Amino acid sequence: MATVALGATTYVSFAADELAFANQIEARQSFMHVYRFNLGLLGAMAKGDAPYSAEQASAAANNLLAASKMSNGAMWPAGSDMGAEGYAGVTWAKPEIWSTYPKIGEKGAALTEALEAMAAGAGNGLDALRSNMGGVADGCKGCHEPFRAEND
Amino acid sequence: MLVAGLVVAGVLACAFFVLTMARSSREPLPEHSANFANGELLFWAGGCASCHAAADAEDSDLLILSGGRSLNTPFGVFRSPNISPDPNFGIGGWSMLDFVNAMVKGVSPDKRHYYPAFPYPNYQNIEIDDLLDLKAYLNTLPPSSNEVAGHSLQFPYSLRRGIGLWKWRYLARSRSDRTNEASEQIERGRYLVRGPGHCGACHTARDQFGGEITERLLAGAESLEFGEGNDASSAGRIPNITPHAEGIGGWSESDIAYALETGFDPDFDSFGGSMVEVQENMARLPAEDRAAIAAYLKSIPAISSEAH
Ligand code: HEC
Ligand code: HEC
Ligand code: HEC
Repeated sequence: MATVALGATTYVSFAADELAFANQIEARQSFMHVYRFNLGLLGAMAKGDAPYSAEQASAAANNLLAASKMSNGAMWPAGSDMGAEGYAGVTWAKPEIWSTYPKIGEKGAALTEALEAMAAGAGNGLDALRSNMGGVADGCKGCHEPFRAEND
Repeated sequence: MLVAGLVVAGVLACAFFVLTMARSSREPLPEHSANFANGELLFWAGGCASCHAAADAEDSDLLILSGGRSLNTPFGVFRSPNISPDPNFGIGGWSMLDFVNAMVKGVSPDKRHYYPAFPYPNYQNIEIDDLLDLKAYLNTLPPSSNEVAGHSLQFPYSLRRGIGLWKWRYLARSRSDRTNEASEQIERGRYLVRGPGHCGACHTARDQFGGEITERLLAGAESLEFGEGNDASSAGRIPNITPHAEGIGGWSESDIAYALETGFDPDFDSFGGSMVEVQENMARLPAEDRAAIAAYLKSIPAISSEAH
């Protein structure tokens, strides 16, 4: 940690990996990448960019469902929001996650519900997969809308 | 000396008075028979519900334009008015001309200026026939008797008269006219983006007085919408959507159209923040209109995200 004293004012600057919650933030962002990756496999089939495979679609949908049921509370410690000193540009988690807690739990549950339907349908043909994409999109957007800041 | 000073002061006062006067148009409107389906399309393209319906409204509640949504900005808190067809609390008593003057000139029926938090600088680009269809459609929506409190703005923004100067300096900048050089599809996209879609209201950077910087058209901006605490700690940056490498140069036209339809970017991350409501409005347009927006966004100048 570098501390620079300028006259009466003390400026403290942090390197991202020296932040108290760097690990937790890295873990939750990586966790989101697992969502994105599996959803990308389904999305490529839905868009027609990849051939439909019932087996692969079911596997990806089941991964998403299992991920959404993980108990992740430890990745979201209070004080690890983008408004905390040193955290801008490191995390895009809004302070509202904590100030409106436990609302974020409802958003997670809504995604799990959409993923139950996707896991049940993804192996039953392309139409069933496609018709469940909207619900999953709502699940992701439903939480990113209030709780994640825009990431340029 | 004193006399000369008074004359100068008088001239300046007159100039201020004239420049800040709210002028509406009294030109007669064209004959028109309403196309309600087109009015509905304009309603979604214009995103009226995103500001004028209740904050948590979904589905059919989006059609109740009861107002009262607060917009926390650096200038203070704006509260959107009730624009339902209720004759007392909404705009049910307005003539077509009143509506056109509000949308195009930013002037109220009692000749006051509107704040550009109401995106009329963009809506001024909507064609008259489309405005008439939009008003006809709004007239069919459920009335609401919700009474909305006024804005809570910091001085000097609390003075409406000053908006006259703002308009004099900025309003023309946001105009976007038909070019006749581009394809029909790109023209349609230009119209939707620069007019009803008011994409620039969020994606174009503004100067210190809140005027769009034309040279930075759609090249990204600081978010003016603050979080619940009404400070900048949860406001992020709105992305560059020009075809620059720092923007969405790597997205194909079909990627853009797909994102507007579903809310997923090409990597299957989902939209968040205020773009979610915009996207859900765009999802209600015909597929050709999303394709037109995509074609236009690929045709505009590529601009870097950083001002040089
Ligand atoms: C319960 C809330 C919630 C749900 C549901 C959710 N996310 Fe997120 N997501 C977040 C938050 C909060 C962040 C910001 C995390 C940070 O920057 O620390 C985020 C960030 C991301 C990121 C960016 C990660 C990075 O590297 O910065 C991606 C990608 C993402 N989410 C994908 C998804 C997808 C895909 C889904 C749906 C399958 C989804 N998320 C569902 C809350 C959620
Ligand atoms: C970004 C938010 C936003 C959007 C989107 C928006 N408005 Fe508004 N609108 C406002 C605000 C804020 C005001 C109040 C302006 C003022 O008081 O000066 C307003 C005022 C108005 C008024 C004047 C009402 C009155 O009582 O004087 C009308 C009419 C109106 N809007 C119509 C629309 C229509 C139609 C649409 C969609 C095409 C729309 N607005 C979209 C924010 C918005
Ligand atoms: C109310 C403000 C607002 C308006 C109006 C708006 N946008 Fe956005 N837009 C955003 C925000 C905020 C994001 C970032 C979303 C995120 O990071 O999750 C965004 C993101 C995007 C992206 C993705 C860019 C990227 O690099 O990921 C595209 C494409 C886009 N907008 C297109 C449009 C178009 C087209 C319009 C007009 C029809 C429009 N936007 C109108 C706020 C807005």
